[in-house]
Amino acid sequence: MTLMQFTLLSSFTLSMLGMTMYRTHLISALLCIESMLLTLFLATTTFMQTTQTTTITILPMTLLTFSACEASVGLALLVASTRTYASDHLNTMNLLQC
Amino acid sequence: MSYFLFLFLLCFALAIIGVASNPSPFYGVIGLVMAAFFGCAVLVGFGSSFVSLVLFLIYLGGMLVVFVYSIAMSAEAYPKTWGDFLVILYVFGFAFLILVFSFIFEVSDIMGSLTVDNVGLYVIRMDFGGVMLLYSIGGPVLLLCGFGLLLVLFVVLELTRGLARGALRIV
Repeated sequence: MTLMQFTLLSSFTLSMLGMTMYRTHLISALLCIESMLLTLFLATTTFMQTTQTTTITILPMTLLTFSACEASVGLALLVASTRTYASDHLNTMNLLQC
Repeated sequence: MSYFLFLFLLCFALAIIGVASNPSPFYGVIGLVMAAFFGCAVLVGFGSSFVSLVLFLIYLGGMLVVFVYSIAMSAEAYPKTWGDFLVILYVFGFAFLILVFSFIFEVSDIMGSLTVDNVGLYVIRMDFGGVMLLYSIGGPVLLLCGFGLLLVLFVVLELTRGLARGALRIV
């Protein structure tokens, strides 16, 4: 396993562990999801570079677009939760369902 | 260049640890910005400069918005830095986990692969040609991305509408 693959694998795993083990702030979970997407971006770009295949370059662009979608929906949820309950803690999220 | 790539990958992993160890969101955003910066440096080292530029501009622009939100929405009186006890416990735990990973998966090679600088024409980079395909033969993917962004616009407007409907209500 080369160093690039190792770094990407371990950083993805660490971001996922950080998201699962922490449940106070919503925006920290959003930051961990963002770092997972950054790692996936680097992984797809490295895939394009090592296989010397030009057409896979579409894949990180699409991933970047959908990560923008994810970030905007997450921030909308954050704004809704903060302005309604005056905190962005994760345990107020289940109050939004009623 | 291999040693520069090693340095950038090390700094990238440290910045990811800084995000994943969950300090207060201000410091987590700083870690994420550093991770994006070093990721861009790694991509430049591998030879895909245009994708790196796109990542730097768009991702750091988006990160600026997230940074402002995290300052505004989650202000605390006593923010936890990386020196806080629980956070530094996470930092050392994650660093130990990376060490365990490096023993499980044997890191044999520094880079192990050729970069673009070694092969082919120097002038025409692969990522320029690849992103250009998004406008000719990959047009349905572009339309799909545009449709996704339009859908997300309506989703965000519905979530933050603020009257009797929507997620935002006066309780």
